[in-house]
Amino acid sequence: MEAIKNFFKMVTFPELFKGLSVTAKYLFQRKVTEEYPDFKPSIPYRYKGKLHVQIETCISCRLCEKACPEGCIKVFPPPKEQMKIDKRPAEFYLNQEHCLHCSLCVESCPTGSIHHSYEFELVVTNFKELLFNKETLPYNQIKKQYKWNYIENVPIKTETTPLEKKENSK
Amino acid sequence: MNTDFLLHYIAFPLIKIAILLAAVFTVVAYIVLVERRLLGFFQSRLGPNRVGPFGLIQPIADGMKLFLKEDVVPLNANPVLFKLAPVFAFFPPFVGFAVLTFALPLIMPSGKMHSFSVADVDLGILLILSISSLGIFGIILAGYSSGSKYPLFGSLRSASQMLAYEVPLTLSVIAVIMMAGSFRLSDIVAAQQTYKLYFVIPGIIAFVVYLISVVAETNRTPFDLPEGESEIIGFHTEYSGMRFAFFFMAEYANVVLICMLTPALFLGGYDIPFVNDLELYKAHPYLVSTLGFISYAAKSTLFAFFYIWIRATFPRYRYDQLLKVGWLVLLPISLFNLFLVAGIKLFLLK
Repeated sequence: MEAIKNFFKMVTFPELFKGLSVTAKYLFQRKVTEEYPDFKPSIPYRYKGKLHVQIETCISCRLCEKACPEGCIKVFPPPKEQMKIDKRPAEFYLNQEHCLHCSLCVESCPTGSIHHSYEFELVVTNFKELLFNKETLPYNQIKKQYKWNYIENVPIKTETTPLEKKENSK
Repeated sequence: MNTDFLLHYIAFPLIKIAILLAAVFTVVAYIVLVERRLLGFFQSRLGPNRVGPFGLIQPIADGMKLFLKEDVVPLNANPVLFKLAPVFAFFPPFVGFAVLTFALPLIMPSGKMHSFSVADVDLGILLILSISSLGIFGIILAGYSSGSKYPLFGSLRSASQMLAYEVPLTLSVIAVIMMAGSFRLSDIVAAQQTYKLYFVIPGIIAFVVYLISVVAETNRTPFDLPEGESEIIGFHTEYSGMRFAFFFMAEYANVVLICMLTPALFLGGYDIPFVNDLELYKAHPYLVSTLGFISYAAKSTLFAFFYIWIRATFPRYRYDQLLKVGWLVLLPISLFNLFLVAGIKLFLLK
């Protein structure tokens, strides 16, 4: 009986068909290739993309400026009198060109005003496009662009700021 | 009479040759693309899909690239033999296509019989076997004339491999010839049509031996020692540009030739499955010829897919295992099979 079994095994090559069936399974499987320029990839939850600064909640404490190992961030606090009513910085410079995406500034921020976005396409034709000031800081456009995968990990304050209160009361 | 002679013996064959060559070159160019894409699918990749829709212009891009490359002849090489070797490797598979028959013949309005082959000679299958073994000269010359040791070893490996597998291949084809009673390829298909039985069933052992040895003959993956893409260095190490393309195209032309030959030998060729072709042919000759051609193409395509599937699956043999399988396993099996087939022919096929 054993001999017949062995002979049958020798004649029909079951191992070969096993291998063929394995590769056939792979033929119909989902492909792992990322077709990047045609289809945007899905980005991991904790991806460290381009830095986004929410200037509305910034309190000009300059902790991010001190934490940054590359010195990309420069924060200019408002004059002392204004600091009592509105702590938003007078000027905020962000040099994305030197940014290491180390997320030390994000960790140091007490109000969560600075955080990583999911934007990963950082190629520019001119270095000046990577220098941002208070007005040009990228925040709102990106939100629309990456709608499907954008998870807001920083809650935006809904209450009106002291400055706005003052303006409203006028 | 003179114009008749010109038409039937010069013009028609030339037109047939032109059509056949164009078709074969296109198929050879595209089977490379199909293989690369299918290998990609087998490995959960996508394969080349950048040039044109689905990568359809990729062969042209590859050809352009190879054509524009620098033509290097090494200093130590023998320049004459070095330039001759690709040509020697290139022409045998293309000769083989001449004796293939693609469909049942048609009777033209002028009364002449019009066969769908360039030259349906009496010894068609023998011609293919003998010419395809000429291809080895190209490989040996390439290794010998390169003036480098690795190509020489590669070509020696190739020579012994081809010798080892030529014998079982021929013996398994002889089994088919015995069953059909003719060397002519159209007769072999006709025999399968009259017996209403594809030779794969009585000659299953011959078919298995044929499959294995044909993969070895065309230097494909389980047996691709002459080339050894990834780790061992092959016979065309010193070749670049268009000369390398000649070897490459010869390899794939061989694959296409085998893919077209196997259905004719074992799977009924241009016979339409589950239909009595010969009776239907009397009523609708044009329909049967067309459908027969389509079925032949379908069988060849399926076999080509199987060929690529094999390449995607099996790892390479070691050199001593390769020769052992050739001489000590396949040769005795195919010799034994000859007796078996002779018995089948005597008692069963009538």
